[in-house]
Amino acid sequence: MSAMSDMLKRENVQIVESCKDWEDAIHVAVQPLVDGGFVTPDYIAGIIENTNKFGPYFVLAPDLALLHARPEQGVVEQQLAVTIARTGVEFKPGEPVRVLVTLAATDPDSHLDVMRILATMFADPANIEKVATAASADEVYRLFMEA
Amino acid sequence: MAIRKIMCACGSGLGSSLIVHMNTEEVVKKLGHPEVEVDHTTISDINPTAADLFVVGADLGDFISGIPEEQKVVLSNILDKAELEEKLKAHLG
Repeated sequence: MSAMSDMLKRENVQIVESCKDWEDAIHVAVQPLVDGGFVTPDYIAGIIENTNKFGPYFVLAPDLALLHARPEQGVVEQQLAVTIARTGVEFKPGEPVRVLVTLAATDPDSHLDVMRILATMFADPANIEKVATAASADEVYRLFMEA
Repeated sequence: MAIRKIMCACGSGLGSSLIVHMNTEEVVKKLGHPEVEVDHTTISDINPTAADLFVVGADLGDFISGIPEEQKVVLSNILDKAELEEKLKAHLG
């Protein structure tokens, strides 16, 4: 199995039309990992708490967020989830983000392989656009598996 | 001052900072400084003696105000290797 297929399951990829606000978006984007038992509900509160403290440092590039908190803030098992919010989520006013990748990591390094894939994939803004506008969640999943 | 250690930091020390860590390793090698040690950590663990140079995203610039200007690189796009290379070049030569 590749690093990506170990870390991302089809059922953890979803497309939503919109989120009420950035806090709601964090709930929506982390929920699949809560449902799958990869993180506890505390992880949602942890990401919101970090955001209030440090700002949205997880917005890596225009239109792309890598939502995450620290392992001790509720991670059970390392895993990714992907949420596409069609209308975008404003973590900062006027800068909507459509691609929300949620990362649950158990330590600072063991997810390095998958991060390398994500960094390479999203270094090209065209790939962010492709994921943001993909026709279906199946298509989004396929784009990640082929990255 | 010769730069021997570069520390990349983000709010939780394993997402953005890990990406910047990987990109920084690549860039320092490209710039001909394979001897430079690169690591990543959380922003709250940053102090001026932890490394010779610190790399953070723009959102966290304010959190390392205690670090002298000549010891930090603040990135507007974390994934942009061209920006990283240009800014590191200014420090590494």
